Formats: sequence, structure tokens, C-alpha cells
Amino acid sequence: MERRSFLKGFGAVSVCAALVPSIVSAADEAKKVSGPNEMSVESALAAITGGKPVTLSSKVSLSAPEIAENGAVVPVKVSVESPMSAKDYVKAIHIFATKNNNVRCANVYLTPANGEASFGTRIKLGATQDVLAVAEMSNGTFLSAKQNVKVTIGGCG
Amino acid sequence: MDVSRRDFFHIAAALGIGLPTLGTAASTPKRLDQVALQDIYGFKAKGNVTLLHICDMHAHIKPLYWREPSTLISAPNLTGTPGFLCGESFLKHYAMKGKTLDAYFDTFMNFDTLAHKFGKMGGIAHMKTLINHVKKERGADNVLLLDSGDTWQGTGVALKTQGEAIVKAQNYLGVDVMVGHWEFTYGKQRVKELIEMLKGKFISQNIVGDDSFADDYEELIFEPYTIMERGGAKIGIIGQSFPFTSTANPKEFTQGWSFGLRLDTLQTYVDKLRKEEKVDCVVLLSHDGFSVDQEVARQVKGIDFILSGHTHDPSPRPTVINGTVIIIAGSHGKYVGRLDIDIQNHKVKGYEYKLIPVAANLIPADPEGVDLVNSLYAPHEKEFGEILGVTKNILYKRDTFHSPFDELINDSIMDAMDSDISFTPGYRWGTTVLGGEQITMDDVYGMTAITYPNVYTFEMGGLQIRNVLEDIADNVFNANPLYQQGGDMSRLGGVTYDIKIGAPSGKRITNIMVKGKPLDDRKVYKVSSWGGNLQNAGANLNDQLTRPVYDVAANYIRRQKKVDISGNSNVHILDYDCGCPRKGSKSC
Repeated sequence: MERRSFLKGFGAVSVCAALVPSIVSAADEAKKVSGPNEMSVESALAAITGGKPVTLSSKVSLSAPEIAENGAVVPVKVSVESPMSAKDYVKAIHIFATKNNNVRCANVYLTPANGEASFGTRIKLGATQDVLAVAEMSNGTFLSAKQNVKVTIGGCG
Repeated sequence: MDVSRRDFFHIAAALGIGLPTLGTAASTPKRLDQVALQDIYGFKAKGNVTLLHICDMHAHIKPLYWREPSTLISAPNLTGTPGFLCGESFLKHYAMKGKTLDAYFDTFMNFDTLAHKFGKMGGIAHMKTLINHVKKERGADNVLLLDSGDTWQGTGVALKTQGEAIVKAQNYLGVDVMVGHWEFTYGKQRVKELIEMLKGKFISQNIVGDDSFADDYEELIFEPYTIMERGGAKIGIIGQSFPFTSTANPKEFTQGWSFGLRLDTLQTYVDKLRKEEKVDCVVLLSHDGFSVDQEVARQVKGIDFILSGHTHDPSPRPTVINGTVIIIAGSHGKYVGRLDIDIQNHKVKGYEYKLIPVAANLIPADPEGVDLVNSLYAPHEKEFGEILGVTKNILYKRDTFHSPFDELINDSIMDAMDSDISFTPGYRWGTTVLGGEQITMDDVYGMTAITYPNVYTFEMGGLQIRNVLEDIADNVFNANPLYQQGGDMSRLGGVTYDIKIGAPSGKRITNIMVKGKPLDDRKVYKVSSWGGNLQNAGANLNDQLTRPVYDVAANYIRRQKKVDISGNSNVHILDYDCGCPRKGSKSC
């Protein structure tokens, strides 16, 4: 129970807090330390694709709220249309928060035995940004979907 | 019925009713009264089913004055489209004439003058007479009364009874189905209690449990839809509560419930109603907002009618998008929308719509309703009836950036808290007090009656204030309706600024001045705020100053006695010449 109310309390505060990082980083640009996990979306993508093109595709469906109820835990679901057969399946699903300091949110590796290429999780978004889902197909191609999620202090007077 | 004979002439003339036999008419004023009333009732009845629609009453069970906005500006791509129309651009869009009863209800133009002529608007006793008239004409079994929400909150009587007075009013009106938004600010437990008292149904397809420890995790909290038979037809009604309740209002009230547009599940329910439930007509009862629902109609297939709410737009004509007909019935009980539907062979063949103004001087009050209102107000008469002062000029709430009533509230807060800056929320509900009239405590509650009324005083850095303003501006002026929250811009006391609405997100606001000096990004300011969650982003909250806003405002008006608010906006709009621009234009 105590843990639960702690979590709830944390959740309630964090939307307003979520706005702060962008403000802080703007003000403290000079002393910003580049952490070991910091990575741009371009380099994170290249590390996965090896430079191959990523194509927006209706086969990838990304479901995320238009406006985050809580920037600290934004529910995101990705599903990819695929027969998931030995010849044609989804090898991996990657989720990126394109403007977080660390853009990498999740890498999920699949086999035909999964039966269905679908994955849902909650990600933290530091500010309003695009969420990008990339599906790595067994034929070596990369398909993607993206959606803008607004992170706002909301309803402030 | 307290319309003088002279008023009948004004009304008749304003309604454009010809008076060929003026002499005869003058000698029989009752006849004239009937003509005017018939003009309000007048309707080309159609088909077998009537949906009566109300939205955003904000607990105004008594008639009131409500002035529509004189500034209603949006992102350039939406300028002058339904949902962003006011004044002359409104009249032009709907091909209406000025100085008529309809123009008085729908626009701000000549409001003071016409208010004295046409009188107050709404009130459940008058709405009921109108509803009874339609039920008698159509047969009660062929009529549904649907309520798009924002009904339980907005007045003192609602707040003091924690919504109960308004549920009684809904039961009296005969509300069959409703959805919600401000309803949720009474908290989950109270919402459930009030729904128990409500004779109608409360439905919502877009509220889902998100507490992974709770039994209702990922389950629907309310029935997503209901099916009702009227006029021999099966009507499927899907509920859509306000998608951004948990962002726009404090989360504590709905902790464990997740909202959102949820267009994917909405499509699933539309398809289910058509294919499995075999309904003849699919209705979305919505609190999305008018412009959001136009986007919903673009993205979701198979909805016949959207009965919209939230953004308080009166829309005399339906807006049709991809075959979906969207209506919205203003706010504060000013209107009842009448939608007659012709359903044949399990399909909608046609419809007829009218937005009926509830002119309280023309539509007689139902005595039962008068008694109900009196009994609900009786315990609070002494408090609500207190005359706090008199206002020299009109006080109203709406407009995109600034309103005189909000200026008065900000003045009272800055006076009481000695703060540099005051934030008052850009809600679209409130009340209107005409110039020269008394301000009562009931009026103050009409502007401030919320379940989280505290004014908080705290510190914020200049840069943070700038970023907060940009954040709020992006919620109001986003070019994509799905990212708007449907309110007006927060009202600022102590601050002036320039805004370029069409500029990119984060770059709209310039030339911010605090008490006449440029905002210093590095300086710390003393900020007061109510009705939002800005205090969570601030620092060093001064708890000793925290007080309910209605007490702060009432004390100030009591001391002022005579209120003189200029009504001049503190915001300079850089990319529009006027408040009600036409489509594709920067001017009116």
C-alpha cells in the first residue's frame, strides 16, 4: 500500500516535472554533461539499420495518446502486420523517443514462434516529441510509424 | 411571462415577423406573443425520431445573461471555420442578420442594448416548457434528450450540493443519456453516487482503468454505448467524455482512470453497433469539442450524427463531414438543439435541425421548474443573494485572451497576494453582468465555483513563465485540433505581451512585460494562480496566502463597491487585425 501511494504521488507530480527538463537544459546548456547513454535519433537508428533506409509503412501501427496524461509513463503499443512464418517475420521492434536525451526506449526481438508481432510498454517523454517505431523485417528491410505526443503542463491557470 | 407589450413589437420586429395589421395586433398583444413564441418553436417536422440536445449548461438552472466572444482566434488553417467563428464572421458564415434575437444569442454584437430588449437566456423552467412542447408535438416516445456534459459544475448551488442540485434538474428535464468532463472534478466516488441519483444513463467509451493494482485495470469504467428504441427505430448512442480531463483538471480526481480520444475503440464500437447490434442510426454523444469532432468525423467511419460539446459553440446549422452530421448547442442552457431524423428501412434518410434559443422572456416558465429552482436555492439564498458591488461596465468571461470579469478577478488576487503576476484560467464557462447592474455572490460563484478553488502564491523564474505561456498557447493555438484542449488562453494580471498565433510552437510570444518592465528570464517572480496546476511547477509555495478564489474576489468587490473595469486587452495580436477574422483572412 505504501509503495502504491508512493507511485501514485510520483505519477501526479511528474507531468509538471516533465516540462522542467527542457527548461533546465536550455538554461544550463554550458554545464550539460553528455551521459554514456545519450544518443541522437540518427545515430541510434544507424546502429540498428547499418545505414539502410527506413520506410514509413501502414503495416506498422503505433498507438500512443495524442496528449500524454502523464509524461513519465506514456503507454505505447506497436503491432506489425506479418504472417510471422519462417520465411517472412518481424525480427525486432524498436521504439524511440526522438527528443529525449537518450532516444532509445525499447528493443524487442521476435521469432516466428511469437505468432504475432505486437508489443506494448510505457515510456518516459521529457517533452512534446515524435515517438518512432521501427520494425526490422526478416528480409532485411526496415518499416516504421511515428506519432507526435504532446507533453504539457496542461490546465495551468 | 414578463414581456411588456412594447417588447413584443421589438421582438416581433427583430425576428423579422411581418406585422401587416399592426393596429389589430396592438389591440391583441397576446396574439403577438404567440406569434413570437411560434417563431421560436417553428420547425419543419421530419421523420419519426427527435433528438433534443443540450451541452455545457454549467449548472445554470436559472436564466442568465451570457455574452459570446468578441475575440475567437485560432491557428491560421482553422480561422473562420465552424468552432472559430464570432461576431460578423459568425453572422456571415451562417447568413444571419444582426440585431435579431438569434444574433443576440449567437454573437457579442450590441449585447448590452439587446440584453435589455430580449432579456435573459436559459433556465431549466424555460427549457422544460420547450422540451414539453416538442414531446407533445412528436409524441414523448419518439423523443430523446441527450446531454453532452459539463452540466454538474459551474454555479454556487452546484458546488454547495456537490452536484446533487443539478442531477435533480436533469431528472426534472428528463435527460436520457449523458457524458462528462467537469463532472469528474467531484471525484470518482462522488461521480458514482451522482450517477446513482441520475435517472438517465452515463456512458463513455474512452475512460479505461489504468491502475495496474486495481480490478478495473484496462477495463471500461462506464458502459461504452447504449441502445434506445424511439419511433420504431434502434438508435445506438456511443459516449465520448472529455478526452483530456486528466490533463486539463487535477489528476487527483480521476487517479486510476485513463482518458484519451481512443478513436480506434470508437471505430470498433461504431462497427459493432452496425454489424452486431443492427442499429438503424449511430450517434456519438461527445464532449470532444467542436473542432476535434470535425476531425473525428474525418477519421472514424460510419457515425450518422455527432452531438458535440465542450467548446461552447452555438451552431445554427449542422456541419457535415464525410456524411457525418455534427451539431453543438452553445452553452449555459441558452439553447436546446432539435434534430428530427427520418429513419426508414434501418437507414437514416434525412434530417432537419434547429438550434432553438431559450429566450426566457418568450418561452414561459414551467411552474414546477420554478418551484424546483426556488427549493434548491432556498438554503443558500442569503449567501448567494449578497450584493457585493455594482459594475460600471459589462463583465463577461469569453474571448481568447482577456475578459473584463477575469481582469477583475486578477485585480483582486494581485491586491490580496501582492503578487507580480496572476494567472486566471481560460475556462469558457462563467457568467455575464450587464453594465450598471449589481454583482452578487452568486455571480462570483458563477465565475469560480470549482472543487479546487484555492489561489496559490509561489515563485517562478522568468524563463519558466515564458515557457509556461508558450505551452499554454500551444494547447490553444495548435494547428491540429486533436492537440488542442478546447479552452481559451490563460488570463494574466500584471503582464502584457505580443502574440503571433501562426508562429511555430514555442515561438509565438514576444515582448512580455511585467508591471511595465520587460520579463527578465533570470529573475524570480511572485506568481499567484488558481484553477490549474501551475503551483506544482513553481517553488516556495506560500501556504499562508492560500485561499479560495471566490472569497478573494468577493472581498475585493465588497471593498471596491463600484467596479470600473476598462475591458482593454493586455494582449497584442501581431498577425490578425481583429477578433473575429474571416476564413483565409487576417481581418474581419
